[in-house]
Amino acid sequence: MLKSIKPKGWVVAAYLAVPVALYVFTVFAPLLAALFYSFFEWKGGPVKTFNGLANYAQLFSDEVFWSSFWHNIFLVVVCIIGQIGLAFIVVLLINSKVTKLQGIHRTFGFFPSTISAVCIGFIWQMIYDSKRGLLNWFLEQIGRPDKQKVWLNEPSLVMLLVSIPLIWQFIGYYMVILLSAVSSISTEVLESAEIDGATGIQRARYIVLPLIKNTLLVCITLCVAGNMKAFDNIYVMTAGGPGYSSMVMAMYGYKVSFEQSNLGYGSCISVGIFVLALAVIGGSQVLMNYCMTDRYDREEAKRLKQIEKERQRAIKARKAKA
Amino acid sequence: MKKKVVSVLLATTMVVTLAGCGNSGAPAAEAPATEEAPATEEAPAAEEAPATEEAPAADAEAEAPAADGELAYSGEISIMHFSTSEESEGNGGSDGFRTCLANWQNDHSNITLSEEVLANDDYKTQIATRAAADDLPDVFLLQGMNTISWSDQGLVYDLTDSIKNSPYASEYNMDYLVPFTAGGKYYAYPALTGGTCTVVIYDEAMWKEAGFDSFPTTWADVEKAAEYFSGQGIDTIAFGNSGQWQLNSCFVSCLGYQYTGTQWFSDIIAGTGNFEDPNFVAALTETQRLFHDTNIFNKDFNAVSNEDAREYYISGEAAAFIGGNWDASYIQATLEGDPKKDTTKFAVLPQAADATKYEKFQNIGLGYGMAISAKAAQDPDKLAACIDLCQYLTGPAFSEYVGANYALAGFCGSDVDLSAFDQYTQDFYNFSYVDNKGCEIYDSYVDGSVWSVLNTEMQEMVNGDKDPATVAADTQAAYKTYLGQ
Repeated sequence: MLKSIKPKGWVVAAYLAVPVALYVFTVFAPLLAALFYSFFEWKGGPVKTFNGLANYAQLFSDEVFWSSFWHNIFLVVVCIIGQIGLAFIVVLLINSKVTKLQGIHRTFGFFPSTISAVCIGFIWQMIYDSKRGLLNWFLEQIGRPDKQKVWLNEPSLVMLLVSIPLIWQFIGYYMVILLSAVSSISTEVLESAEIDGATGIQRARYIVLPLIKNTLLVCITLCVAGNMKAFDNIYVMTAGGPGYSSMVMAMYGYKVSFEQSNLGYGSCISVGIFVLALAVIGGSQVLMNYCMTDRYDREEAKRLKQIEKERQRAIKARKAKA
Repeated sequence: MKKKVVSVLLATTMVVTLAGCGNSGAPAAEAPATEEAPATEEAPAAEEAPATEEAPAADAEAEAPAADGELAYSGEISIMHFSTSEESEGNGGSDGFRTCLANWQNDHSNITLSEEVLANDDYKTQIATRAAADDLPDVFLLQGMNTISWSDQGLVYDLTDSIKNSPYASEYNMDYLVPFTAGGKYYAYPALTGGTCTVVIYDEAMWKEAGFDSFPTTWADVEKAAEYFSGQGIDTIAFGNSGQWQLNSCFVSCLGYQYTGTQWFSDIIAGTGNFEDPNFVAALTETQRLFHDTNIFNKDFNAVSNEDAREYYISGEAAAFIGGNWDASYIQATLEGDPKKDTTKFAVLPQAADATKYEKFQNIGLGYGMAISAKAAQDPDKLAACIDLCQYLTGPAFSEYVGANYALAGFCGSDVDLSAFDQYTQDFYNFSYVDNKGCEIYDSYVDGSVWSVLNTEMQEMVNGDKDPATVAADTQAAYKTYLGQ
């Protein structure tokens, strides 16, 4: 029966052709086009002058680009801790036996993820507003008007302040992903740990975390990828300002391409973002794998590797003797 | 077999349908998010002009004269602009533009105008993208600062002869053509209305309470007034620079002239100027002092837009506001029926103590011009139709309409009967066209790459985080790069 309804390979290929073609058109074609244009001095329009690696040389020495890159890294670190870390805590709380109305918590927790980034930017801009904002109003209510600031005009704070809306927006998103992973853990495992006297923190550290390791890796990859291309809400809140204090790579690429009409260099920045994002995602995965692997497992793997090395050496020596 | 055939047909249909979605050739598929409709349906009639009660909006003579003349071309002309229906409510230039566009369409029934109308900020991005893709609409609004680079790219048609031979040539104010000139050739008909970019809008009653009969003419006096207003919990002058361009267009572009006079910027336009000129650095230094070291401006000037800042003035949280003609129109419309409207007056920027070239400067000009894409010019009949459209939209019909309804002037001069307008309009007309000396709006010239650096770094400068000499040096570096290109 199953075999009779299984489509032929070419039918599957025909159906897949559409999304694959769309994917190639929307992802690979622009990427290749950006790579191509990055070798030109191009102010827009039909005239392009090939300038080899000049744009890349400029990119390496462009202080604004590299400060934007570090702003992205700051966002990544803060958001991994804020989005995934807090989402994990929220998941444990929601899954706790003492928590009531779990469904409502899930729904309201996820709610900010459904709002567009631009609206989130406007909402938080109102919160930070120096004259009518909630934050300064709160400081006044608690008798600390001396702490009131023009928040989005503070170069030393502005990156943290634009990160908070991002954290707020995506906690629910990662909460849903982690919730599904935690739900798949057998209750017997957790109960037996509880009987053995493991505290909540110990259960989270030694049972839940290792068992949802792969899901966590996915979350971190999504978080890194998302924050390496952060743009919308920062554009709305500060447009990268004051000055370059909250400039991120995507916004700098946009500014160079459209405000400065330098599309060749803008394309070069896009390629730079792509390469750096890949490197950061790859690095974060290696780091995560390292951190999530048990010390015993690491030592065991090292020991096995050493044994294998010696075995190979012995084989080589035997062959040489022969 | 039948199933297989159906499967293949379905897959093929999906591919073809999706491919069809990407077709940019059909005008109907263009930018669905934008406001796109035949001009005849969208543009408001003259009676709908949202002028003030006193303005003779419904007068027969207030209507724009009809477009006439036979054109050989029949077909479609694509036009992209930013006079949205919302923008036209209270903004004379936008209203006049839409009205004239509708009239021209009515009189040329064999031509279909395919309009793409976006808000100004979106327009700038969209038109830059279309220019980059060599896909400009037939007729569009060219920003002065793009003239040189786009003409170098061969994107815009040379309109020198058509402007010189225009039936309205004798009525043109040729000074407005300067931003649209490259290599001695004209590339656009200056469009919309000539409005100031820097005007101090103040509440005369509030300043009288502070001991000033009118707005002070020196910054020293403004600082004295700031002591009084601070005591009242009121900002002396509201300013918004979150978009970064405001400090350039609405402040430095005018204050700079007090230090540099006119020659320095003429040299900058000619490619021989220097942003590190001590006089320009002095202007930046004074700007930094005023914003960072005094309490004249609202503390959040870098975090709010000019739209937010003008609300501070309207609500009485600030005694004055610095903005452009568009802000003056908005404040007029918002204060309708409010006694504050009667006490609202206009002034030029006060004099800086160490500036030697002071005159009552206000920067005025037409930042956009109607240009024709080089591609549209390949068809002589279409080109003739496009030129006719540009001439009509910037000619006497437009000027008479905005003159009669809003006391504004465009590329063509017009006689304005000021007695028909309220005091606010009369005062603003005199401020803009009669009482003060006009100077150039910096960012109508040179190139966006230069202004982007200056605008961004000035935001840090007025926070006290960057010194004016560094800002000038970085801008000069961007200017040199631009000249090298």
